[in-house]
Formats: sequence, structure tokens, C-alpha cells
Amino acid sequence: MMNTEAKTHAIDIASMQRDKQTLSLENEEHTLKVNNLKLFYGDNEALHGIDMVIPKNRVTAFIGPSGCGKSTLLRCFNRMNDLVDGCRIEGEIMLDGNNIYDRAVDVAELRRRVGMVFQKPNPFPKSIYENVAYGLRIQGVNKKRILDETVEWALKSAALWDEVKDRLHESALGMSGGQQQRLVIARTIAVKPEVLLLDEPASALDPISTLKIEELIHELKKDFTIAIVTHNMQQAARVSDYTAFMYMGDLIEFGVTDTLFTNPSQKQTEDYITGRYG
Amino acid sequence: MRVSFTEWTKSGSPWVWLNAGAVAICMIMVIGLLGLIAVRGLGHFWPADIMQAKYTENGNTMIVAGEIVEQEQVPATQLRDAGVKVPEGLEFMQRDLIKVGNRDVGGSDFLWMLDEFLSERSYPEMMFAAERREWGNFYGYLRGLKENGKLVASHDGFEKTDAYMTLWNEFQNRIDRALEIHDQIKDIEKGDIGSINYELERLRLKQRSLELKGVTDQSRYADIDARRAELNAEYEVLQKDLLDLYEAFNRDSLVAVTASGQQVEIGVGKIVRAFLPNNMGTGDKIGHYIGKLWEFMSDEPREANTEGGIFPAIFGTIMMVLLMSIMVTPFGVVAAVYLREYARQGFVTRLIRIAVNNLAGVPSIVYGVFGLGFFVYFLGGNIDDLFFPEAKPAPTFGTPGLMWASLTLALLTVPVVIVATEEGLSRIPRAMREGSLALGATKFETLWKVVLPMASPAMMTGVILAIARAAGEVAPLMLVGVVKLAPSLPLDLNYPFLHLDQKFMHLGFHIYDVGFQSPNVEAARPLVYATALLLVAVIALLNLSAIAIRNHLREKYKALEM
Repeated sequence: MMNTEAKTHAIDIASMQRDKQTLSLENEEHTLKVNNLKLFYGDNEALHGIDMVIPKNRVTAFIGPSGCGKSTLLRCFNRMNDLVDGCRIEGEIMLDGNNIYDRAVDVAELRRRVGMVFQKPNPFPKSIYENVAYGLRIQGVNKKRILDETVEWALKSAALWDEVKDRLHESALGMSGGQQQRLVIARTIAVKPEVLLLDEPASALDPISTLKIEELIHELKKDFTIAIVTHNMQQAARVSDYTAFMYMGDLIEFGVTDTLFTNPSQKQTEDYITGRYG
Repeated sequence: MRVSFTEWTKSGSPWVWLNAGAVAICMIMVIGLLGLIAVRGLGHFWPADIMQAKYTENGNTMIVAGEIVEQEQVPATQLRDAGVKVPEGLEFMQRDLIKVGNRDVGGSDFLWMLDEFLSERSYPEMMFAAERREWGNFYGYLRGLKENGKLVASHDGFEKTDAYMTLWNEFQNRIDRALEIHDQIKDIEKGDIGSINYELERLRLKQRSLELKGVTDQSRYADIDARRAELNAEYEVLQKDLLDLYEAFNRDSLVAVTASGQQVEIGVGKIVRAFLPNNMGTGDKIGHYIGKLWEFMSDEPREANTEGGIFPAIFGTIMMVLLMSIMVTPFGVVAAVYLREYARQGFVTRLIRIAVNNLAGVPSIVYGVFGLGFFVYFLGGNIDDLFFPEAKPAPTFGTPGLMWASLTLALLTVPVVIVATEEGLSRIPRAMREGSLALGATKFETLWKVVLPMASPAMMTGVILAIARAAGEVAPLMLVGVVKLAPSLPLDLNYPFLHLDQKFMHLGFHIYDVGFQSPNVEAARPLVYATALLLVAVIALLNLSAIAIRNHLREKYKALEM
């Protein structure tokens, strides 16, 4: 069993790496730009001035040991940290040239543009259809035709349509964990965000479901800019174009995934990816 | 195998026994309580046999007939002190409480008699019991029937003969006829004439309101007068019908003798039902029993609430609890949402929570006093001034009524709903909220579309607790709207159908009233138990329906285990 899996992964990496040779940060269009971002929980500084970019229509992976701030940074991109009491932010994050921490920014609108999928699948206790239509209904879309089309498109994009098309109006809670996570992804892309933030989306799933999610990510980057947090380095290597390595609230190294994994420029990165700590 | 005491203690067995024992005692108490009120209350409706006997005490002899209701032992010395000649060598004597009825003849319908002194006991088959609209039960023998004062049938024997039975059947037919007429009269009086009176009163108020506003347009007064004349004409017709009906109703009367030989004449219209208990088989008795039970639950009370049914009280209780739920739920939920979701958690919110929790511990009568002072006199008074000036000086809302009672109980139970809802809100997983927010929903949309539906089972738990507390509450109600006897139900066919300003009857208050405020406490005592049983049943029913709704919601939103 182990063998087959390893084999599958190997093939996958090969297929995914086809277009990575020519990648270079300088040639990319930047969707998000982080300028000297500091984040405090009370008096405790959790991110110490991060500078980086998230390139458009690419998959950017964040790796690093637990507690290094990678999830915290991801949650800054759609201002999810606003919900945490005592959380304060300095610096700026530019989305298409506008600072998302500007006073004038409508947070709900920002979150619609920057969607997020969480570690554990969190479908609402509604039907599959209503879960996917939720974001649209929030925006005031109530025309059945538009809803039907979008739900079908989103479920197809999330590679879930064939499995659920006959039970769209059954509760989403009856699905398997992997299906639920893909449903959450469908729900997120149904509102057509520009950026998709994935916070360890496969960590609660079995290997088969994980594989499906990874294939899905590969598909989705044609339409979306994706940022993914993972503590699984193989996964980062398989799915991402760029990888950021974080440690203790600092961005240690950021670059093309292949380069970072095969020829890291920092000692800490090398230690981490070779398993010397973390 | 012997086990030492320390080992036995260590094994935990005593602890298990202790716990099981506590549960067992609770169960026994609950079952015992329900059993007692069930037996005492439900036994009342069984048609007991009528005993006829000779009673001799201190040389005086009389013939009595009645049902034995209760028996007890009395110390002989106590009786000797009271002047009763008790046979030598007796320490205790049995004393029977006999329901002899015939209050109009003998003065009291219950008598204590010493069992020893009763002799020549018999259970005559032809002794009948009649339930009357006034004066309680009558026990005696049927002698004849009169129509318009003229004797039309009679019989003299005391044995069961065909002739007696013919007379008896004729008597039953005439009771049925009278009951039918009685229903018609009631329909006209309560229904048609009630509506006319209601509309006349509204017309009077309308006219008064026009006068108060200084309207001089005579055509509007003329409209009112025209409608009033119409109604008066209708009333005249009905009144004439009523007179005819009353005449027919009072046509028949019966002649009967009591056990002691006194002759009595009773109008057949005064009788609700008559039966021969000693002549009834078990099947007849069961039928009679079910009929009585149904009457108890579906009919209006008679004779200062000691006879008849308690339907208005059941109706009033349910009505009030429903209104209370409708008022308390949105109020409590909104308050809980603010406290849990919007208010900054800190000293002030903690203080408010403590205050809310303590509110639940305030004695309920205090709420009654508050309800009377604030709702009835202040709010009600102002409402009257603003909206019902035409009815003054008679108060509309400035007097205790259904609305104020419901509102007072809503206030009494709002802490329960707040606490339960807060609990429910705090149990919604953070992931659910974040999932919704991450899709571009605002906090309000998240609350409205995801959090509140998921917290709805908890809200229902709050409502269930509120119902349980409110339905059994009596003390505050006595101040804010419950009465001994309400002339009409708060829900009827007259616009606006639901009369929130009316006073109403309540099972809890009914128990107190029947048991302790009625002129005939002995007769009413079984009704206390029966009403108590019914109150328990009504509360159980209300709770079960709320629980059914909650379980349905739980099934729908069962994502909480995430």
C-alpha cells in the first residue's frame, strides 16, 4: 500500500513540475503585496515585519514548524484576525494596489474577494445546495437560474458534482470528511473570489481525499490565486509554485518551490526541509 | 466470599447504592404524588352506591341516604366529652362522612355519622341521584311528574317494577328535552345576544369617541343610531324567542320524596342528569364515569365552581402560557444575542449577567406587585388615556387582564430564556462563524443565517423551562388578571377575536379557589385533586409539544458535535 501511494505521488510531482522550470518571481503579476507586516497579540509580537508577494494564478505554499505564524499570516490576508480579541496589526497588505487594512475597506467585501478554507471542514447544517449558494444569497442573488448555474459550476470546479448531483438537497453533514472539504472549497469559489486561502485544508483528511484536494488545487490555480498553509512538506512540494518558509514569526526564505527544496539559500530552511528540526 | 468493610467502601458500591437510593426515593415521591392526586381526583367521578340506613344517636332516630365519602377513627373519650352515649369498653369509634345531598331540604349536604349507630342498611335500587344546577345533589325516590303544574304521571312503590321504570323513562325523556332547550337558550344568550351586546357597546364607545373628538357631522351619529336601531330590533326578536324557550324550559317538574319521607318538587330544567346508581351495572357506571370526566374537561363550572367542568380554566391557562411564550422568546433571545455577541465582554456584562440570574430568584409575588403597579396601573392607565378615552371611567387596559398577566409572567421567565440562549450561542463552533464570515457575510448575516438557526434548540430549551415555570405560577396572577369566574373566554367570534384586556380563569388559581374559597369545601375537595391532576397534565402537554419542536430543530441543526 505504501508503495503504491509513494508511486502515485512521484508521478504527480512529475506532472505538476512541468511548467515550474521557467518560474521567476520577477516575471509574475502580484495579487497581494505584504509590506513590513507586524502582528501583536496583546504585547506579544507574533509576526516580526513580513515582506512578500503572492503572485497571481500561482500556488504559494507556507511551510514552517508549528507556531511559526504561517496560519496567522494567512489569516491576515482576509482580516480574519480582526475577530481575535487584542490582536493588532502594523504595516500593510496591498490587494490590487489598495491597502486592505485601510479604514475605508469593507471587510465583508474583502472577504468575498479573498476566500478562505479552514483546517477542519465546516459545512453549515444546511443542504449541499444551500451551502454552495450561501455566499450568493448573502450578496442578494436569489434568482433560481443563476443560483443553479453557479452551484453546478462550483461543484464541478471542486470535482464534487458527479458525487452529489443526485442529492443536492440532502444535508451536507451526511457527506464524508473529504467531500465536506471539497464542498467548502466549492462554497468558497462560488462567490468567485480572486484569492483562495487554504489553511491546512487536507490535514484532517485521509490520503485519498488529500490527493483529490491536491489535484483540485492544481486545477483551481488557472482561475484563482492560491495561498496554502501546510505542515506537510511533500504536499508543499507537490502542489505549489512558490514556497515561503517561516520560522518564529519571521519569513526566512521565499522563492520558487523547486529551488527552495533543492537548493535552499538559508541554513534554517535547509535544516527544516531535511528534517533536522520542526 | 466475605468482603471487609474497607474493601466494600473502596469498591464504590456504597456510592452506587446511595445514588440509586436517591433516584429511587425521587421516583417513589413523584409516582406517589401523581398517584395520590389521580386516585383522589379521578375517584370523584365514579357513581358511588347510595346507602339508606337508620341512624340512632342518643335516642333520636332518623333515616338517612347518601354516599359514604370518608371514614375515620375517633377516640371514644372525645365523643363522650361531646355528650354522645358511647357503649362501654370502646376506645375508638368509626365515623363516616356521608354525602346526603338535599341541601335545600336538610340544610347541609355532608354529615358525620358514627358507623356503630347506623342500622338497617340497604341499597335501594330505585333511589335516584340528581345533579342539579343549584343546591347540589338530590337523593330520593321519584313519585310523579308535573306538566305546567298538573300531575301527568305518578307511582307510589319503592320497588323496581315496570310501572316505576315507565315513570323513570318518562322522567329521563323530559330531562333530555329540557337539556336541549337549555342548549338553545345558552346559544342565544351567549352567542347571538352576546354578539349584539358586544356590538352595542362598541357603538356606544364609537359615539362617545366622536363626541370627545368634537365631531359635529350629524350623518355619522345617524349611522350609529341606525345600526343601533337595527340591533335593538334583532334583540327584540331574540328576546321573544327566549321568553318562549324559557316557558318551554320551565314546563316540567318532578315530585320526589327523600329517604326520610319529605316530599319535594323540583323543576326538571334544574336537573343536569339523574341516575339510579344502585341499579347500574359496571358498564353503565363506566359510561357514566367517562361522561362525567368529559363534562369536567369540556364544560363550564357551576355552583361557585364546585360542580361542572373547568374548561375555561384550562383554556385560560393554555392561552396565557402561549401568549407568554410569544412575548418572552423574542425578548429573551434578543437580549441574549446582545449580551453574548455584541456587548464587550467585561465588568459591565458580568454585572448584567449576575443581575439577570438573580432576577430568576425574585419571589414571584414581587413580579405580581410590579405587574400591577407598572403594567396595569401605569402602562394600562396610559394606554386607556391615549387609545380608549371613550370608555372612561371604565378601564380597558388599566385593569388586570390577560395581556398583563402574560407580560408579567414573561418578565418572570425572561432570565431563563436569556441564560439558555446564551448557553446555546456560546456552543456554536467558532468554525461555523468563521466559515460564514470568510464568505463575505457580515456579522449580522452570520448571526441571522447560521448562528441563530443553530442555536434554536437551545432557545427552545429556554422556552420549555419558561413554560414549566410560568404554567404553575399562581401568586402573581392573582394580582394581574386571574379571576374566580370569567363570563367569557378571551378568544371568541367577536372582533377582534382575541381579547387581551379580558380577565381569565386559570387552573392553578382554580385549585386554590375551589379548595379554600368555595362555600362548600367538602364537596369541592375531590375537585381540587382532579384540577391539580389536570394542571399537571396541561403543563406536561405544553412541555411535550415544546420538546417535540426542540427535537425537530436539533435533528435539523445537529452539527454541534464538531
